[in-house]
Amino acid sequence: MIKFIGANKWFNNTHVLKNINLEITKGEVIVICGPSGAGKSTLLRTINKLEQIDDGEIIVDGMYLSDPKTDLTALRAEIGMVFQHFNLYPHKTAVGNITLAPRKVRGLSKEKATERAHKLLEKVGLTHRRDAHPVQLSGGEQQRVAIARSLAMEPKIMLFDEPTSALDPELINEVLDVMISLAKEGMTMVVVTHEIGFAQKVADKVVFMDDGEILEVGVPPDIFVDPKHPRTRAFMSNVFHIPIFDDSLEEED
Amino acid sequence: MLVTGIKVTLILAAATTIFSLVLGTIVAILRISTITVFRALGTLYVEIFRNVPGLFWILFFYFIFPELLPEEWGQALNGYIYYPVVAGIAGLTVDNASYVSDILRSGRLSIPHGQREAAISSGLSRVQQYVHVLLPQMFRATLPPLGTRMVHNFKNTSLCMAISAPELTWATQNIESITFRGIEATTIATLFYVGLAGIMGAIIITLEKVLRIDVSAKKNSKIQ
Repeated sequence: MIKFIGANKWFNNTHVLKNINLEITKGEVIVICGPSGAGKSTLLRTINKLEQIDDGEIIVDGMYLSDPKTDLTALRAEIGMVFQHFNLYPHKTAVGNITLAPRKVRGLSKEKATERAHKLLEKVGLTHRRDAHPVQLSGGEQQRVAIARSLAMEPKIMLFDEPTSALDPELINEVLDVMISLAKEGMTMVVVTHEIGFAQKVADKVVFMDDGEILEVGVPPDIFVDPKHPRTRAFMSNVFHIPIFDDSLEEED
Repeated sequence: MLVTGIKVTLILAAATTIFSLVLGTIVAILRISTITVFRALGTLYVEIFRNVPGLFWILFFYFIFPELLPEEWGQALNGYIYYPVVAGIAGLTVDNASYVSDILRSGRLSIPHGQREAAISSGLSRVQQYVHVLLPQMFRATLPPLGTRMVHNFKNTSLCMAISAPELTWATQNIESITFRGIEATTIATLFYVGLAGIMGAIIITLEKVLRIDVSAKKNSKIQ
């Protein structure tokens, strides 16, 4: 479904993606984790060409992203994307947000699109918020509307860019629940997140990145509990907050 | 003469408001385009038309522009009895559009980057991104300064007296010099200007109220 072949990207002189090779098959749920600045979001954003790679190739659903003949609009219509800051259209209601692209890109009638929006809002548990504008919604509600907005295009792939990082802790689960049910339905998902619980529950593979490189790919137990790479091990012990006793710290006492 | 003056002023104001809004939007889109040539064209437009007085452009379209055209066209324009009004509309439009484009551009800068990304990633074309996502937000964000600009433009219609377009200020002046009934004419003109500018202000405030999205329905977390 998605294949990275020797992908490289630079921001000016910074090498942000280093020789990325990764294959994601249909129905797989991939979690990308790693420290900030590792290139996780950039990697995710190359899949729908919000960012362009400078070298190598990415093939998504049989389309070569470096090929100038590839119809990007059509490709993007097949890939849903959910952002850290939701990015709902503030001037439109929940239903208006969800129906825009299906009507304009897919050419659905207003009635059809609205019907679909109602179904999706039911799915994310927001039937009662149909006519609310984004400012009237909580962060968790906004993110659920954003997921419904992406699903309305009936995408083949869903990309999540730290979907819960901007949420209050108590609102995170309502979003994760929607994502988990989506994963169980067989959606191909690529998720950049620090939610280890989510990864353990539904991820088929976890990709650990640091400094623009994929250091380790494996099933969740391997990466979280028994990582091979020392950098992964250091990261995980910080994430799980296992105290590291260090000589230099003791000396200070 | 006063009635004609009011009519002409209304025509000038309405036409320039609409035309400058359209032209200003186009120039604003050029200026925020990712294509360098478009951006340069937009900037050039603003630098030329905003930095030269509006009155100059009115005079330009009345006196100079017909000369630049092939002779027959120029003569046809000069012979056209409504040409002063047309030239006035052209001059005021190019002047006002430069301000409108600048105001709209500032509105674009206030929209978070993520809006465009959301629109792109949902498969909307460039035009659709503008029509459905960016422009509505640009107009909403800039409604107050845009309204002030349009009132300003309305008052600028009086500049057209310089090319004898029979608008209200020109009419008032003429009544004064022919009949010496200056006080009456001026009073009526003043009332008209104040009244119409007031109505424009009221329309803008109403629009702001209609478009404002009520936050009170639910308390909201800190993001956006």
